[in-house]
Amino acid sequence: MNRDIEKHLWEYVQKNCLPRHSEQVYSDDENLFESGILDSAGLVSLVGYVEETFDIIIPDEDLLPENFMSVKAIANYIRSWQQRQPQAMAMEV
Amino acid sequence: MGEVKKCVVWDLDNTVWEGVCLEGPVRLRPEVRQTLEELDCRGILHSIASRGDADTALQVLQNYKLTDYFLVPQINWQQKSANVVKIAEELGIALDAMAFVDDDVFEREQLAFMLPEVLTIDAGQVGELPQMAAFSPATLTQESRSRRLFYRAEQQRKQNEKQYPTREEFLKSCRMCLTVRHMKEADFPRVLELMSRTHQLNTTGKIFGPQELREMLQDKSGSVVVHVADLEDRFGSYGTIGVAIVISAVQPWRLIYLAISCRVLGRGIERAFLARLTEDARRQGLDTVEAAFRDTGRNKMMRSLYQMMGFRHRDSLTENGTLIFSARADKIPAVPRWVEVL
Repeated sequence: MNRDIEKHLWEYVQKNCLPRHSEQVYSDDENLFESGILDSAGLVSLVGYVEETFDIIIPDEDLLPENFMSVKAIANYIRSWQQRQPQAMAMEV
Repeated sequence: MGEVKKCVVWDLDNTVWEGVCLEGPVRLRPEVRQTLEELDCRGILHSIASRGDADTALQVLQNYKLTDYFLVPQINWQQKSANVVKIAEELGIALDAMAFVDDDVFEREQLAFMLPEVLTIDAGQVGELPQMAAFSPATLTQESRSRRLFYRAEQQRKQNEKQYPTREEFLKSCRMCLTVRHMKEADFPRVLELMSRTHQLNTTGKIFGPQELREMLQDKSGSVVVHVADLEDRFGSYGTIGVAIVISAVQPWRLIYLAISCRVLGRGIERAFLARLTEDARRQGLDTVEAAFRDTGRNKMMRSLYQMMGFRHRDSLTENGTLIFSARADKIPAVPRWVEVL
């Protein structure tokens, strides 16, 4: 499976939500809220980043644990969105 | 090389002092102290790349009360060029903004060979440094004078981060304590202020008048409860940072208003407060809790908070533009592990 989306998301998290020299490695399943990496403000910023980077619009009602709890969930959410909108597939990220 | 340097890296033996400190007593060269002080005032940093034993050398610097001038000193048996690169990286300074002072011509030549962008200076010229263009910035500000302290604080912060391998451990180290209690008369001014000044972390944006609030406070039936939350951590007290209004006489339990100060964003306090409030409902044996939300155009964070905590909005439940969210009381995530709630 192509892991580009996960890589983008981890780069964002590394840069914005973790200590600058952190060497801690998290799995894609890590619960970003329970581990203190994201909170309400962090999620809203991340959503803005995802919308801009992947050229999608995330409706407020989609801000649910099953879509945003972990890097894996977010990546799957982005993929399902891209499948619903085939023209977005052409976008190289 | 024409640019003003930002950092001077010093050799120690026969450069900062006469003699070799591992071999016997040494004597500080008087012009060294003057140059250190003068360049420090100009915002130019100092560091050390010296061969030898770190403890012994640092003790000598301590005796001369010079330790504070030197950031990230590298005293070891490695190549000096490797140490200069390490210092540049640690301080975030480009190599062409570094200078290197050593009495040994071989060391200077080797450094110039390895790192041609670094300016090398003979220890004999130490007294002349303040006159050189490379150490004479065009302007001096209060900021230049305190630059060393700024870098030192930054070093400490990095150390702190390294000390805690995960974000959760860092948050735990802050020892946050959230006290959730019923609002009292004395809380009036702060609660009114919180309600009027909080926009992002405000679930409805409703402005309650003092009279309205007082009536809720005086409600003795227990059907309306105004909760406030105070936060404290090891750095000090933040005072009252949240207010919540719960109506519970009529089933189901409903949170009609929640506002939290933006000052405490970024540490899961809003999750802790909401989790603590809904715990009450669960203890009362209620299955379902409800929460009101009105989109003000600025409070998306609160909607996401509700939804990420397990609340869902059903289209049927909209009252005058206010969305009613509901959740199973036993499905709401617990208070974050790094927050103690009283």
